[in-house]
Amino acid sequence: MRSIFLVVLVVIAAGSQPAFAGKKQVRYVGIHPVPKAEGGGVCYIEGPHVHVFAANKLEYRDHRNHNYFVGDPVAYGYDGPRHAYKGHHPIHVHAVVGDDQEDVEFCYLDGPHFHGFAPPPAIEADFEVAGDAYFYVAEPPPAYIEARPAMIKVNATYAPITYARPVVEVEPPSGWIGVRVGVPAVVVVDERPAPVVVAPRVRAGIEVHVPVPTFSIGIGVGGHVRGGHGHKKHKKWKRR
Amino acid sequence: MLARVLFSVVLVVAAVACGKGDGAAGGGGPRDAVTSAWKKGGMTLSPLTAATVTVGKDCQSGTVGAIDVLLCVYPTPAEAKAAEESGLGWVGEATGAAQAAGTVLIAVADRRKSDPSGRTINQLMKLAPK
Repeated sequence: MRSIFLVVLVVIAAGSQPAFAGKKQVRYVGIHPVPKAEGGGVCYIEGPHVHVFAANKLEYRDHRNHNYFVGDPVAYGYDGPRHAYKGHHPIHVHAVVGDDQEDVEFCYLDGPHFHGFAPPPAIEADFEVAGDAYFYVAEPPPAYIEARPAMIKVNATYAPITYARPVVEVEPPSGWIGVRVGVPAVVVVDERPAPVVVAPRVRAGIEVHVPVPTFSIGIGVGGHVRGGHGHKKHKKWKRR
Repeated sequence: MLARVLFSVVLVVAAVACGKGDGAAGGGGPRDAVTSAWKKGGMTLSPLTAATVTVGKDCQSGTVGAIDVLLCVYPTPAEAKAAEESGLGWVGEATGAAQAAGTVLIAVADRRKSDPSGRTINQLMKLAPK
């Protein structure tokens, strides 16, 4: 009888305050995809919230200790409002999630893609609309260049996903980031022990300009970069 | 006569209890403002019952559909804000959220995985008065 009473007490205690048996809470803010292992689809919670599954490093950025999704939600079945972009561009995370902690991150998706938001009024001038898509035409910060070699790997995530991407068939504006800095300079990447030469990726239909010298440094895919200012640790661009 | 006096006392006590405004029956307190907003937004809320949790002293819990909700009232908005961490502790190993709305801490937890898209939780948090 006494043991039954103890069991009942334990059950009541467990029910009143959930215990953390092992799964770790992970903080998110804004909409984001749900991993297939967790059921797939999209989580539509716009404000801060938690799940017990992790976020990956290529599609998420840190915003006030919460994971903010910077990828294309339509690829995962998002059916909310959408805005077409082409190429890389900044995301004013604070404007999207509606808080006052300024946080500008970059989307490194090549080509046409969607987001659930349009550029906020504060940076509308940094974009030109052509073919119903936003093209980023402003000067990107050095940190964008620094992080790009690592972050452009996000495109490999989207390449195999079949979904209705925006169709943008117009000529890009002359100041578009994909024209001015879309093709990295040839850099020798030290993938020790054997050095590897990475050739520039030339996209059809895009006029290739000689990269501005300031953009030719620090561009490499992992490892150490020779011919520039040496190895630089990737760091996120945060204007706070 | 005594019976009439007792009845009056009971009425007064009941009125005072309702005057606190945070019972399931309603009455205008900060918690009621949240539940009213939910109901107005089409949410079906079960009757709230007193909850003994570490999140706060004045807490009531219930469900919206299959989602657990916890509403705790604090003396000040700052205290409600400070309780958000505890609210996430109450959420535990589930999808959920904990956010202060004025002097009320709203915590929601989808422990039965009934809201895989999070749309209901999103509605609950957005409908709550700021």
